Amino acid sequence: MRTFSRNVMTALVILAASPVLAMAAPGAVALDSSIKLDKIVTENGQTKHEYVAPQKVVPGNHLLFVTSYRNTSDKPVDHFVVTNPVPSPVALESANADTFEVSVDGGKSWGKLAQLTVTKPGASVRAAQDSDVTTVRWVIPVIAPGASGTLQYHAVVR
Amino acid sequence: MKRIRKLLAAGAATAGLVGGHSAYAAGTLAGTVIQNTANATFSSGSSISTIQSNTVTVKVDQLIGVAVTALTSTPVTIGTAPAVLIYQVTNTGNGPDSFDLTGAPNVSGNAFNATLQTVAIDTNGNGVYDPGVDTVITNGAASQVLAPDAIIKVFLLAASPTTATDTQTSQVRLTAASVIGTGTPGTLFAGKGTGGVDAVVGASGGTANALANLIASLANVTLTKSAAIADPYGGTNPVPGALVTYTIVAHVTGSGTAGGLTVTDAFPTGTTYQAGSLTLGGAALTDTADSDAGTVSATGITVTLGSITGGSADKTIAFKVKIN
Repeated sequence: MRTFSRNVMTALVILAASPVLAMAAPGAVALDSSIKLDKIVTENGQTKHEYVAPQKVVPGNHLLFVTSYRNTSDKPVDHFVVTNPVPSPVALESANADTFEVSVDGGKSWGKLAQLTVTKPGASVRAAQDSDVTTVRWVIPVIAPGASGTLQYHAVVR
Repeated sequence: MKRIRKLLAAGAATAGLVGGHSAYAAGTLAGTVIQNTANATFSSGSSISTIQSNTVTVKVDQLIGVAVTALTSTPVTIGTAPAVLIYQVTNTGNGPDSFDLTGAPNVSGNAFNATLQTVAIDTNGNGVYDPGVDTVITNGAASQVLAPDAIIKVFLLAASPTTATDTQTSQVRLTAASVIGTGTPGTLFAGKGTGGVDAVVGASGGTANALANLIASLANVTLTKSAAIADPYGGTNPVPGALVTYTIVAHVTGSGTAGGLTVTDAFPTGTTYQAGSLTLGGAALTDTADSDAGTVSATGITVTLGSITGGSADKTIAFKVKIN
């Protein structure tokens, strides 16, 4: 478990206010995307999840979308923001909805699902549901040189 | 696991697809590609970078599914004319599929088994069997290809066996089975789905059936003949010269209709028909073949009663002959 300084927030505000590109070699991050099939196996009355390569995927199957990152440079990376559009054939599942921010309008606005609303043409405003989520994102304040991690969300094939 | 902080992104990454919710009850269509690409922005020193991950794609396979319902909820009467039973077959899968349609009149518990005459698909979609318009198929043959969520109506024409009696009930089953394949849910048919994707049997097992109800509506006709003799001497003896009045009562029972009912009776040997004596319900009928129901020939009488529903008032026919 990492902990972060509260000063990161201040530093970022300054960065955003001065969009001057540095000439020095910046830090570098490798980003890798994968999809796994969440195979639910019941064995002796116990339900187990096996994450396997998606050989056969049909509506109703549960998928795990995984994004791995690694700071491949010798410098720390700040304010690492990973944005992952949720493919339209799948719907986010609630189990993990509290570990990241979501958007229901393609990334224009962000928040926790409970804070968001949806207005469909010809319908009144309603609370956003899992299936409305178009994009998820994670914000990681600092990645130390050589550090890596994995971000993931669960979704069901519509 | 990293601890995640709520911060505003310095730069919005590629926007995801907005909307795009599946409009299909069956779910995402077979062959749909699910793509995943992650984007990231970060700062290092005073520079801001944007990077993109590789793109992973997964193709959605075909889920085989079918549902059958009987559209005739109340029992259809079956009598002298065949009954038309209407069923609905829905492709509940996520890819195009056709279904073998099999009608089966032999269902456990039936009081009688109807005879399956015709299997037809409602070609013009009006929900009514139109002979010569709707496509007649061999029992067990395949339907046309149905798109996901597509619905067809199927007609089974069933005839009553002679053994059926009035108000007996029966059921006829229609089964629809995926042409791609059936089996326990999860059974895989490699490459058999649309566009060569794999096909997987869904919860229905790839087959479904429904029962429609029949109730026999038949009529029983009873003819009762009697004779009254009036001899020339005021008695009732069958002597030459005596007049015999024959009376035939047609009694129709049951919930059905006796169609095309015609009563004929031959004159007994040694008698002579008394011209103009034929009556129906007490009203005179002419002897000649004309617009009324009665006709008399040299050998006997014919009265055409037509269609008579069960429970109607009795029809009484009478005529007179003289013993030679």
